[in-house]
Amino acid sequence: MQRTGRYVILFVALVLLQTLLLDNLSISIYLCPLVYVAFLLLLPIEVLPVSVLAYALGLGIVMDWTMGTAGINTIATLPLAVIRIPLLRAIIGVTGRDVIREGGIPSPVRLGRTVFVRYVIAMVALHHLTFFVFEALSWSQIWQTLLRLIISGTVSVLFIWPIAQIFTMKPHKK
Amino acid sequence: MHKLIEFLRRTYVVALFILLEAIAIGYYAHSSSYTRARLLTTSNHMLGGLQGVFSEIRGYFSLRSENDRLVSRITVLETTLAHYRWQLRGGERDSLLHDLQQRDTLLRDTAGMPYAFAAARIVANSINRTHNFMTLDRGTRDGVTEGMGVLSPDGAMVGYVSAASSRHAVVLSILNTSFRASGKISGSNYFGSIYWDGSDRYHVRMKELSKYAEIQVGDAVVSTGFSQYFPADILIGYVERYELSENQMSYDVEIRLAVDVSGLTDVILVSNSDAEEVRRLETYRRGTL
Repeated sequence: MQRTGRYVILFVALVLLQTLLLDNLSISIYLCPLVYVAFLLLLPIEVLPVSVLAYALGLGIVMDWTMGTAGINTIATLPLAVIRIPLLRAIIGVTGRDVIREGGIPSPVRLGRTVFVRYVIAMVALHHLTFFVFEALSWSQIWQTLLRLIISGTVSVLFIWPIAQIFTMKPHKK
Repeated sequence: MHKLIEFLRRTYVVALFILLEAIAIGYYAHSSSYTRARLLTTSNHMLGGLQGVFSEIRGYFSLRSENDRLVSRITVLETTLAHYRWQLRGGERDSLLHDLQQRDTLLRDTAGMPYAFAAARIVANSINRTHNFMTLDRGTRDGVTEGMGVLSPDGAMVGYVSAASSRHAVVLSILNTSFRASGKISGSNYFGSIYWDGSDRYHVRMKELSKYAEIQVGDAVVSTGFSQYFPADILIGYVERYELSENQMSYDVEIRLAVDVSGLTDVILVSNSDAEEVRRLETYRRGTL
């Protein structure tokens, strides 16, 4: 129950951060970080794939509604639900299979810093690539799309890292 | 049967994913700028208040530059006003005679100018997507309607209202790849189509400008008045580069925008009272063809 409450807070905080701050960044047209994806990245490993799909659908619809993007966020979040665990398995390798079997929230402590960073980069890259390709819908803008992917993806990862640290931090017991 | 159930058990998530993805892609494929603006309008019902608070904070930090801009704008308007006052004193009689000769125009003026102006504050403004919109703190209860032109405080083109709720309006920004307006080189009658290619927030492009148009780097590009959204001669920007198109029949022009959309905090709304009448006539014309 306590865990559900934490995820509800994470969901609301990420939607507000995205809508009120990051969507209004007026620094460059290539800087469009989409950090709300952290919600899917930080879902416990043992959550059923069909539930992750439902969360991805819900998150996508809410973001499409607040960002006025008419489906692009949903198109970009749904594949993450299917690819999440196979991708984690591929990154962690044979030696870390037990970690996946044990479940829990993906974090630098549980997965190891290198595996966690690779996991975040891969998921963010897939999500941002889908988002920007569908938004541009033009091969003539492929270089601009790639530039947006690199700049925005990097900034998203830099945002997600501290969010993951705070979310997975264990409270101090007195 | 058992094998079929086992197969479905193993693949139903992927099948469900394909189905949902197909629905999402279908919805996106059938959407338009209007759909996106409508979505933003409904979400603004809930988030508009919060966005307003953030906008107030952002606005506070840009007060100094805002004041500078207002002062320079007042200077320009005072100069124009002084010019008209001088004209009125110097040639009042001639002017009246001229007006009487132009009775049609006079009657038109007494019936009311076709354009009315109002100020609004920007509460949300995106520039980092290919379909950029801004949200204003004025809606239908303040008289804002779809199709109103939006200008910067300096009077440069910014976009037009594409959807409005009771308290907010969503503006299709000039930095939106769906934005279209007709523009011309100031002082000339040759016109072209203005659009944003999504590559740079400081530039838009004008295509199909006749190759017979006299054009030079630095020329001002203004609206033609053919549009139902904007009055004529609204400044769009300045020619930065131009070249003949592939078919050698027209110029492709790169225009440096007169306004930095990302720095805007307030805008001016322009309503054209003739717009509805023009729309009705055009609908009628299309129906009779």
